Amino acid sequence: MSRLEAREVVLGYGDHVVVRGVDVAIPDGQITAIVGPNGCGKSTLLRSLVRLLSPRSGTVLLDGEDIHRTHTKEVARRVGLLPQSPIAPAGITVKELVARGRTPHQKLLRPWSDTDETAVLSALHSTALTDIQDSIVDELSGGQRQRAWIAMALAQDTPLMLLDEPTTYLDIAHQYDVMDLLHRLNTRQQRTIVMVVHDLHQAARYAHHVIAMHGGQVAAAGAPSDVFTEDLIRRVFSLEARVLTDPVTGTPMVVPAHGPGGVR
Amino acid sequence: MRVLRIGQLGVTTHRRTFAVGMLLLLVLVGLLLFALVVGKADVTVWDAVRAALGIQVGAPADFIVGQVRAPRALTAILVGAMLGLSGAVLQSLTRNPLASPDFIGITMGAGTGAVLTLWLIAASSLWITAAGAAAGALLTSALILVLAWRRVIVPLRLILAGIGVGFVAQATTQYLLTRMDVHDAGNALGWLVGSTTGRTWTHVAFAAAVLVVLVPVLLGFARALRTMEMGDDTAQALGVSVGRSRAVLAVCSVLLAAAATAVTGPIGFIALVAPALALRTTRSAGVALLPSALMGAALLLTADQASQLMPQDLQFPVGIFTAAVGAPYLLWLVWRASRGGPS
Repeated sequence: MSRLEAREVVLGYGDHVVVRGVDVAIPDGQITAIVGPNGCGKSTLLRSLVRLLSPRSGTVLLDGEDIHRTHTKEVARRVGLLPQSPIAPAGITVKELVARGRTPHQKLLRPWSDTDETAVLSALHSTALTDIQDSIVDELSGGQRQRAWIAMALAQDTPLMLLDEPTTYLDIAHQYDVMDLLHRLNTRQQRTIVMVVHDLHQAARYAHHVIAMHGGQVAAAGAPSDVFTEDLIRRVFSLEARVLTDPVTGTPMVVPAHGPGGVR
Repeated sequence: MRVLRIGQLGVTTHRRTFAVGMLLLLVLVGLLLFALVVGKADVTVWDAVRAALGIQVGAPADFIVGQVRAPRALTAILVGAMLGLSGAVLQSLTRNPLASPDFIGITMGAGTGAVLTLWLIAASSLWITAAGAAAGALLTSALILVLAWRRVIVPLRLILAGIGVGFVAQATTQYLLTRMDVHDAGNALGWLVGSTTGRTWTHVAFAAAVLVVLVPVLLGFARALRTMEMGDDTAQALGVSVGRSRAVLAVCSVLLAAAATAVTGPIGFIALVAPALALRTTRSAGVALLPSALMGAALLLTADQASQLMPQDLQFPVGIFTAAVGAPYLLWLVWRASRGGPS
């Protein structure tokens, strides 16, 4: 079952067409990873799935209805997004930032409610930020800051969470922290997660469903073990690679077939 | 956090923001009393308050306080609040602490409108000048908004278009000044430095009416404004209609600056400084609309009183005073920014 689907969507900016007729269905309750080379249209596709971009043609369906006919606020109660480079207002604390996630649930002249407070506290708890909730976001480490943004998206309390390159700029330990966090949110809170990632190894380890994009089209979609083949890596990334088995998780592991300098 | 409630309705504010707001309100009341009482004519506090409220207490309070000091002080308060709000919205929208209606041509446009009216009609009535200023400000604002429009309002284009339009307006003003006879040019220059002198209850009523219409709109969009500070994508993902909200807010900001300038002439730096001071004192993360308004009001009334307290031959209009105090502050901001510190 898919609450979120794109049908034949064509997307672009100005005269430039980026995504050329794509069909995707996001499996409910699973982690979906969108991978592909730079400029293949993966972030563009992600943006269209939360209504940040309207398709030239085709439709994005949320719960079977055209997302562009759904009110912005209503979309924001069902689908959350963590964009690639969000801006933290100067001097904002972790808790204040997380509280901003409640925006779509608030109404004019209605005060902060107990539901809001509970959602914020539980988001802080799931991201292990409770102890530093009063710290200033600008002063946190990269990993903590990313967790704070994820906590904001969590407080939004949407069944679907979309993340655009959530691990970029983080060191390897913090990358896996974020991935483990997303995995917990998926298993414990049954959130459907869609993430654009660059690291194929992470995609293979954490995603149930992988969408590989190339040249604005879907090159392959399915379980990591079906998608990550040597042939697909060659077609999508123009890279000769071997697909090994991760000794820890048994998931596919892509390594280049050539050594440094192109020497075998 | 602190929740203010009326029945089902309520707003949530931070304790510190609330405390700063209350303090500013107290300061404002104090300053207002000071403005009503202190001056060449001796008036008791009690008489001054009653005269300001329109109760007959006899000479000299009826005229000095009722017709001169009270409207002048209230004009300063309301115009200061308008400038504070206008600047706060603009700085938040453009995510730039140096954005201010003084710099994006609106004030210059108002100046051109006023001087053009003085030149064409050669009447020195404050009302005709104000109407000319309002027309000038609205025309330049419309021009700036159109130039900044690319399906949505692009904040950076708003600033760049404003600077360009501002220069054209200023050149026009200066050309007009050279074409006027000396008496009219003197009047025009007097208006161009910005002043609260001679403002009447009608000015107060006009400023109040503009605020009564625009403040609720701004407060309604305050949450959208704060959310947009986190980037357009984040705001949209949090359910804010970015394009529509930005258009409404930009138009409100521009209208406030236009109305303020029509009433007093161009008064610099309040719109730049008040929001920054409001942010610093409330330590609010993101735009603080009402504190900015209160701060603007307190700053302009203080500046107005200070310029009146100067010895007679040193007295100058409040516009010059705010510039003299504001310019070093601007330089300080630039200096800090150039050192890579937080702005």
